[in-house]
Order: sequence, then C-alpha cells, then structure tokens
Amino acid sequence: MRQFLREPLVHFVIVALLVFAGHAAWTAHVAARDGTITVTRDDMQRMAALYASESGALPSPEDMAAMVSDKIRDEALSREARRLGLDAGDTIIERRLAQKMGFMISDLADPPAPDEATLRAWYDAHQDVYTAPPNITFEHVFLSTDSATNADTTTLLDTLNAPSPPDWRTLGDPFILQRAYGDLPFRETVRLFGTDFATALFALDASDAWQGPVRSALGLHLVHLVAKEEGSLRPFEEVRSRVEADWRDDARRSANETAIADIIKRYKVRIEGAE
Amino acid sequence: MWKTLALATTALTLVACSGNKSEEAPADSAAVPESTAPDGATPGYSAERNAYFGDMHIHTRNSFDAYIFNVRRTADDAYRFAKGETIKHPAGFDMVIAGGPLDFYTVTDHAEYLGILPAMNSKDSPLSELPRAKDMFSTDPDKILAAFQGVGESVRSGEKIEELYAEPLINSVWGQNIAAAEKHNEPGVFTTFSAYEFTSVTTEDSEDGFGGGNLHRNVFFRGEAPARAFSTLDSTNPEDLWDWMDAQRAEGRESIAIPHNSNVSDGQMFRLETYNGDPLDAAYADQRNRNEPLIEVTQVKGTSETHPDLSPNDEWANFEIYDELLASNIVSKTKGSYVREAYRNGLKLQEEQGFNPFRFGMTGASDSHVAGGAYSETDFWSKVGIVDGLPFQRGSVPMPGITDWADQPDNRTTHNAKHWFSRWSASGLTGVWAEENTRDAIFDAFRRKETFATTGPRMKVRFFGGFGYTADTLNAPDLARQAYAGGVAMGGDLVGAGEAPRFIAWAIQDANSAPLQRVQVVKVTSSGEAVYDAACSGGAAPDANHRCPDNGASVDITTCTTTDGSGAGELKALWTDPDFVPGQRATYYVRVLENPTCRWSTWEANRNGTPPNPDLPTTIQERAYTSPIWYIPPA
Repeated sequence: MRQFLREPLVHFVIVALLVFAGHAAWTAHVAARDGTITVTRDDMQRMAALYASESGALPSPEDMAAMVSDKIRDEALSREARRLGLDAGDTIIERRLAQKMGFMISDLADPPAPDEATLRAWYDAHQDVYTAPPNITFEHVFLSTDSATNADTTTLLDTLNAPSPPDWRTLGDPFILQRAYGDLPFRETVRLFGTDFATALFALDASDAWQGPVRSALGLHLVHLVAKEEGSLRPFEEVRSRVEADWRDDARRSANETAIADIIKRYKVRIEGAE
Repeated sequence: MWKTLALATTALTLVACSGNKSEEAPADSAAVPESTAPDGATPGYSAERNAYFGDMHIHTRNSFDAYIFNVRRTADDAYRFAKGETIKHPAGFDMVIAGGPLDFYTVTDHAEYLGILPAMNSKDSPLSELPRAKDMFSTDPDKILAAFQGVGESVRSGEKIEELYAEPLINSVWGQNIAAAEKHNEPGVFTTFSAYEFTSVTTEDSEDGFGGGNLHRNVFFRGEAPARAFSTLDSTNPEDLWDWMDAQRAEGRESIAIPHNSNVSDGQMFRLETYNGDPLDAAYADQRNRNEPLIEVTQVKGTSETHPDLSPNDEWANFEIYDELLASNIVSKTKGSYVREAYRNGLKLQEEQGFNPFRFGMTGASDSHVAGGAYSETDFWSKVGIVDGLPFQRGSVPMPGITDWADQPDNRTTHNAKHWFSRWSASGLTGVWAEENTRDAIFDAFRRKETFATTGPRMKVRFFGGFGYTADTLNAPDLARQAYAGGVAMGGDLVGAGEAPRFIAWAIQDANSAPLQRVQVVKVTSSGEAVYDAACSGGAAPDANHRCPDNGASVDITTCTTTDGSGAGELKALWTDPDFVPGQRATYYVRVLENPTCRWSTWEANRNGTPPNPDLPTTIQERAYTSPIWYIPPA
C-alpha cells in the first residue's frame, strides 16, 4: 500500500516542480521586488496529503499544478498587502495568524521515531500501565442479606468444607451475575461487588477450603479462592510495540498543547476585570 | 506530512475490512465455567448472560453543534475516556468516567456537515475562505450566531448549503470515525460500533435555525459500515432513512436505529400518522420494528418514559421532566412524546388494526457533546461545552458575585440555565444481557431487546415471564438458567396459555451507588396502565394498593449524606398480575428505584456554599427501566 502511494506522489512532486519552473518568470518578477517565494517539497506534499484526506483520492497533475499556482498567487498578494500595512488591527487576520501558528505547532508535533532510551524511559515512567493488574479466580455461594443469618453461613461453610461436600452450585441463594469468575482484576471486582468486598477478597489467600462469609453491598458470599495473582510488571520486550504506540499517541496529543503553553508563557497575561 | 495521508488511507482500508471478525484467540479461564462456552468465546463468556454497560450516544468535535462550543476532543479521545483515561472538558477541567470503565461505547456524531466546522476553522481548508466561515469564527456574537443558525436551519430543513456540503470531506471524516471505532474495539474487553446521528427536526413556523421537535435517531452498524452516512441532507423523513437501512441490509450491512428525546419531539416521535400524514399500516409497522427495535428512554435532556399528565396515578412519573423543543423555549406537546403512551397506542393499533409499530425495548445514554458522558450526580458537567460547563451556567449556583437566588439578573446565561441546563440530568446508560462483550453478542442483545436503561448508576436488573415459575424457581441457585429455560426474558413475546403468567423481577444495586428501595412492574394495556410494587426493601410486602411501606431511608440536603433505612442490595420477586385479563394484550416492564440521593444541582450548591436553586428538586431517585415483555393472549 505504501509503495503504491509513494510512486504517484513522487510523480506529483516532479510534475509540480515543472509547473513551478513554468512560473519562474512571474516569481522572478515578484522576487525582484520583495524577495523570493519558495514552494518547498514539504509544501507540495502537504497540499497533496490535504487534498487526499478531503477528497479520498490523490490529486491529478492538473490539481497539483492548480494548487501550486494558487499558493504562489496567495503568497504574492499577501506579501503585498502586508507591505501596504493592511494586516494591522484586523481581527480576522489576527485570528488567522494565531491559527497558522497553531498549525505550525501541529506540524512540529509530528513526532520523530523514538530511540530505545526514550521508549525505556517512557516504560519506566508508566509502569502502572504495563503492569498486569492483580487478579483472582474464585467461586462463590451467595446468601441474600434478607435470608442470611450467621447460623446459616456457619452451617453452610461446614457443609462446603466437609470431606465429601455436595456440589457447591446447588447451595445458597441464586446470584444474578456469575457464580465463578476467572482472572478477575481488582478494578473489575470493585465495579461488580464494591470496594469493601474487593479489598476483603484480595486480602484472602488462595485455598482449597471455602472461606468467608465476605460481605458485599449485595449480600454475603462464601468464597472458594482458587487462585490469586499479584500484579506484575510485564517485561519491556513483551510490551515494546504498545509502549511505542502509547509514546507516539501521547507525543502527538501533548506536543501541541505544550507548544501553545510555552508560547503563552512568554507573555505576561493580564485580564481586566478578572480577580 | 505523511500523517494525514496515512490516516485517510487507514480509514479507507478499514472501511473495506471492517466486516472481518475478531482475530482474538480464545483464552482459557481458570475457573470452571457455569456452562460450556463455544469455541472462540472470549473470557468471561456466560450462557446465562452477563450485564454489560455502555453509552451509545456521544458527540465529538466533528459534530457541528459541538465544535462551535469549543469541543475539540476526537473520537479517539472519546473511546479513551470510556476506557478510564482522563480527558479535558472545553472549559479546561478534567473529565474522568464515573463508576469505572464502560464495556461498550459509541461515537455518534451528527452526519450532517460532519467535520465541516473544524474544516471551516482550519487555514488549510478552502472552506475557511468562505464568508460564512469568517463569520462563524469571528469575535462578533451576532455573526457567529447567524452563521451557526444557518447551518442548523439547513440540518432541519434538509436544504443543503452547497458551499459547505463538501461530501468528500464529510465521507472522509466518517471514515475517520469508523477507523477510531475499529481501533478501540477489543473483543472480550471493550466493544464499539460504527455509528452516527441522523438529525431530523420538525418544522416550527415561528422558529428559525435549529428549533423544532426532535426526531433524531442514532444509526449503529453491526459490522461493516457503508462509505457514506444517510443524513437529513438526503431526506429529513425517517422513513427514508429506514429505506436506506433496508437497502444497506440487503447488501449485507446490518444496522439498527435508536431514536431519542421523544420527550421533546412535539408529539411527533410516536404520532399515529406517517411522517407525511398518511395513516399507519402494517408495512409501516414492520419497517419501523425491523429498523428501530430500541428507544433511548433517558439521557441528559430528560426522561422519555412518561409524563405526570399522561400517568397521573404514577407517583414517580414526575422525574427529570424536560419539555422544551430543541434550541427553543416552546413547550413540546406531551401526547405522542412518551414511551409508555406509545406502548399503549401500539396495543390499541394491534387490537383495532392488527399491527403495532411501537414494539421497542429500552436503552439509556448521555448524548454528551464533550466526548465524555457525565453519569454521576456528584460529578456533573452537563453536555454542551463552554456554555454549560460551570455550575452558575447551569443554574445550580447563583451568578458569581450575587448570592441571593431572588436577586438573579435576567440575562442570556440565567435564561438558558432556567429553561434548559438546570433541568438537565446526569443520565444515562444502557445495560445489556449478553453472553460476552463482543460486537456480535451485544448487537444480538439489541435485536432481542434484552436491554435496560439506567439514569446513570449500574444497577442490574433481570426480568423473565413464563407459566411454570414457582417460589422454588425463585430460590434455586441456578435461577437464571431455569428462568431462561422456562420462559422469555425482557424484550420477548409471551404467548398466553390460558392462565396468568408468572414474572420474575430481579435486581441488584450498583455496589458503588445507593441501595434499592423497590422493584416495580409497570403494566400497559390498550385501555390503561398501572404501576405495581413487586418487591420492597427490608422484606416488606406491598399493601392493598400495591405500594411498599416507607423504608426509612433519608437524605440530609445540607451535606448530601444518606441513611440507608432498609434499602436493599438485592430485590427479587415472583410476581403475578392481580388484574390479569386472559384475553387482553398487555405490555409489562420493570422499573427499579434506588433510595433517594442528592441531585447534581444540590451537590454543586453545597460545594459552593449557597442554598440549592429553589426551582429545582433537591433529591432524585435513580432508576432503571427494562425492555418489556409483551403478553399475547392465546389464539
């Protein structure tokens, strides 16, 4: 796909350069009065990309030529307007300049390929993201708060831990969600059963014996904690591609705002009427 | 420079490939599953179905009425928010999702002029050169309003503003939204759909701009989405949208549409005529039911379940009622605007003419226009952007510098707060019962209508109807399995067997919200409606008028602390209709009520140290509504 795109674009650049050459006489005339107008390779790539994103198709050589020609025309006229001082005190132009600055910053935000050290540093700084959360695997027998008494839970616990217990699924009250959960992360346990239950459950040790009762907002639970895995940081090599994707996402998002904030910092801001 | 082009290409590629199924390998769950999961099932699969929660109605910068209010967050930001990441509100503060990550989430930007406003404000787009663009992004409020109203008016009338209707750009932005949904869809963990909003508005002679009755619906694609979205600029008639969806379906692109804000449809959402005023018929009903199996019954702009004028004997009907037409202060007509009345009229049509166009299930959503929904009373940011982001803008606290509610100035801010924003709601979510968290399983649940709506908290509610259920069923440890095996779940038809059906209504509270007060069954027939308390907290029995006793719960308005009384973590009932008529059709749904808690406006007033706005309720009872079970008498 990339190869397919690359070839026609190279093509456009060549065609556009020819068009550019065709305008040489005129640009020379402009340059003679007010410096040089240069349409760079990057300019043309940007025009082609913008055209493609808006139209869903790549620009034809004619489109490319027209865009380059427009660009030169706009540039020449705007320079002339500035020479005449037409830009001063014009709200629209001021907003435009701010927007243009914004776009320049967006361009800067296109992140270069990160090196290994950058990625390692990102990984180290965001270990929580790359840590597999603590999780538990458990079965539970539920007792509705209305029906449960302490005597019930003690008897039931004894029944469950007897040498040849009945099938646990036949005991207790029905539970509206699942009665067995595998690899349930802490956060998910909180979401389903509430903080108190999750904290109490994660404080238990895995055991063949049934434990509890553990209270949730929903009622009482006798639990068979089959397995508990502590949270563990996944090795860098295993998550490298995700680290790079996260780094790129963040670089794109934050560079723009950081750059704007940096610019604002260079100014002393005073808002009349604000306390 | 390659970034933009690469993105566009990715979008096109994804449009072509999005029919592909999950490549996720099934993982082994260590616990013994309750029932055998089929090959390829994701972890957590349950044949008795799990409750998943999502918000199916989210706008981003690409919606014309979001960008103008400084919303700059993208679809990517929206999905990150739903997964638990922090994003910025246009007013500058952080938004974090209440109650933890959601299971599914869907960006539904307005299809009309999708992505056009951002382009009008971009130096790199020729659209920014239009006088209309210069006005829209000027500093002159009158010019901004006029330019924006022009777009709104076009969306409503369906008459294109040709210079702004850059279809290739619109389609390209649609492709970007599809790409974002594809990027974030992760089977077993997080589900997204390609979706958009069709923004039909009824015409009010006296109104300019966008003002009118709301006939909006969101369109969701099960898998592959088409390369362009049918909008009001194609036709303002929802029946034409259904034709288009039917045509897409015939080509293998399955979708459903979910209408919303019938409460402000000016009586048009459930009117008993077609869009063009012709009589309804069986073909209309078929097409509507095929394309619109669900309705959004609660969201930030109020409740669409019922209205006190329609349900005078329902003590809980006066709940978060909002009734002003879009962008207007005209009060919406009540008849034809509410779901419960539509259920009733549907039965009436069925009995008199043999068809029922209103056989939909229920969902809830936020309709947030800032990419992230505000579901919690304790952390509300309304929905529009810079005009309702702060408490004084939404009338929960007095204007800055004026502490007395009696001395409020009469200006645009207080006017909009009084009429609109103060009456909006920290709502809502859709719950679905599905085997697993995948597009197919959740979309199947939509089709089955095995859905419920909540006003924000994640209480879970099951509802079954059958003829063989007993008290033993209700207490059987495998109740869910028996209930599925012996009857129908919410959203289903229960065909009569001569005797009164037995219903199982079963709910648990959101473990991170308030306990439950009661579970009710709402019965609708062609001749009336009734609300029955079916389960009361504290194990109490309903009285002869089918009402639970006071459960002793209370709210301290000055601190918003609550006492639970006998509020319950779980409520469950085997319920039989005491007024059952074997030969009469009836529609039954469940409503679950939490104990009362402070409304968002009270929380904000307390934080501000000012009294609550005297025009607003200080407390609310969060609730859930299930899709109905339709009882059909034996032939």
